[in-house]
Amino acid sequence: MAEPRPLAVSPAPHVVGLVSSLRLTWTVAGCLLPAAAWGVFLFRVPALEVLGVAAGSALLAELLTSIFTRRVTLGDGSAFVTGLLIGLLMPPGAPLYVPAAASAFAILVVKQTFGGLGRNWMNPTAAGVVFALISWTGGMSQWLPVPGSAEGSAAVAPLEALRAAYAAGARPAGPLAVLSTQGYAWSGLDGRVLGWVNDHLLSWTGMVLPRGTFDLLIGNTAGRIGELSVPLLLLGAAWLLGRSVIRWQVPVAFLSVFCAASIVFGGLPLGRGWFAGGLYFQLFSGSIVLGAFFLATDTVTSPLTDPGRLIYGASLGVLLFFLRYFGALGDGVPLAIVLGNCLVPLIDRLTVLRGRARHREAA
Amino acid sequence: MKSRSLARRGILNGNPVAMVLVGLCPAAAVTTRVIDALWMSVGVFSVLLLTRVCLSLLSLLRDGESAGPSADLRGGEGAPRIRWLGALLIASCLTASFELVLLAFAPEESASLGIYAPLIAVNCIVLDRVEPAAGGKHIPTALLDACGLGLGFAFALLLIAAVREVLGAGTITLFPAGTFGGTIEIPGLSSAPARALGYAGGGLICLGYLAGLSRLLRRRPVPAAEEAGTA
Repeated sequence: MAEPRPLAVSPAPHVVGLVSSLRLTWTVAGCLLPAAAWGVFLFRVPALEVLGVAAGSALLAELLTSIFTRRVTLGDGSAFVTGLLIGLLMPPGAPLYVPAAASAFAILVVKQTFGGLGRNWMNPTAAGVVFALISWTGGMSQWLPVPGSAEGSAAVAPLEALRAAYAAGARPAGPLAVLSTQGYAWSGLDGRVLGWVNDHLLSWTGMVLPRGTFDLLIGNTAGRIGELSVPLLLLGAAWLLGRSVIRWQVPVAFLSVFCAASIVFGGLPLGRGWFAGGLYFQLFSGSIVLGAFFLATDTVTSPLTDPGRLIYGASLGVLLFFLRYFGALGDGVPLAIVLGNCLVPLIDRLTVLRGRARHREAA
Repeated sequence: MKSRSLARRGILNGNPVAMVLVGLCPAAAVTTRVIDALWMSVGVFSVLLLTRVCLSLLSLLRDGESAGPSADLRGGEGAPRIRWLGALLIASCLTASFELVLLAFAPEESASLGIYAPLIAVNCIVLDRVEPAAGGKHIPTALLDACGLGLGFAFALLLIAAVREVLGAGTITLFPAGTFGGTIEIPGLSSAPARALGYAGGGLICLGYLAGLSRLLRRRPVPAAEEAGTA
């Protein structure tokens, strides 16, 4: 009689699929390329340096730890993706020690200390960026102007410029109007496109898109290297969704809860009352799109079940709303994800157990 | 246990902070500057040592009496409670004395340690030694045990503080002496330190690494009872 096969017990997540983790990580890296290329196109050499240093430092850190683990895990690509994402979440003018230290922290402390890929309970990328934000607040706000912007126009990321304006007491109609009065120079293309859209498409609704909406959408503004172009990020995300590399639950719950909270409560901190918050400014600025599709969907640090993923995404939306409207640390996305990661074991406990109980009832 | 190994236990395998994981509160809170860690260690060391010696003396004293009003102290029904009360009173008095000394000779340091100086009275390392001390009347043993624990605490605290201050602030703060202002600035790091390590979270990360590394480096496994008792 054949011996029964030994029962294999391994740590979560137990993902079984046709793709190896190698293909998975390289697909993610490939889907980040359009947005990364746009950032490099805008900010040229400084952006390339930041990306290179972040990725290089992550790979070096991974190589260093392989001395201790006696297992070279450089080839699985996860260190490269972590480094690349950290670079994409950095402002292009950041001094190079910031991405280097953030990547090293992400790999050495957050990932490898806990046993490497699959055993880290916190998203290394988000944690690395939060570490850099807390440590080098000045270095993490070294913005560069986009090419073609007028001389002397403000080279600050839209969200940070808005926060400074509100802190100084500005209270006009909308965020983009505030930025315009702050000397934000929008491109000529923005004016032409918005003029055409307002005249031909929106004239019957009475809605008028303010100057800067198009620049903000395509990412023709100062900001972090990889967060700028929403269409290019969505292109990569659509590919990932199509190939089932990521699931829709986390980004959809994340974005919809954040949008709902922004619309309903977004006007309250400014004294405008309920249902007076803006939507597209919040959605197109900061790293929310990058974070929702590429950081929050990390299989290792998100819940195991689909209901769990919905809860996780929704809690990220709530956290981000508070961090963005009341916080003072960057745009809040990495911090929201780090805090959300702390909830994941709890969410898993609730959802996985409930599933098992239902199964028992049915049987 | 041999006296030498008794003293060594507190520093290495039974290190209160790194191995037994007690006294973590001050270990995370007052390790942002080396000088704070130094004073905290001095406080815990002296209070621990004197408390243990006092308790040993007390147990000698009550053994000397055969009967009388102190029957409770000798092991009656209420003995443990009385013991605890006495030990806490002694520790509190000694802590208050330490605080006054600190206020008199290093007032800035007293402000810097804040609530953690008075809290030495209920420091887990001190409390942890009350029960064994109540039974032990052998003064050299008590001295060695307290020395080992105190030095182990100081060792762990100074190590954490050195790492946190060097990386998190780019400085090393010590006593001002002569022309030396008391603060060593590390070139390169002091202009852009990793400030995250100066926060409580950074302290806990350093503490975790210290605990993990000391488990890697320990010579023999910690007895199960020791770990279970303090989890």
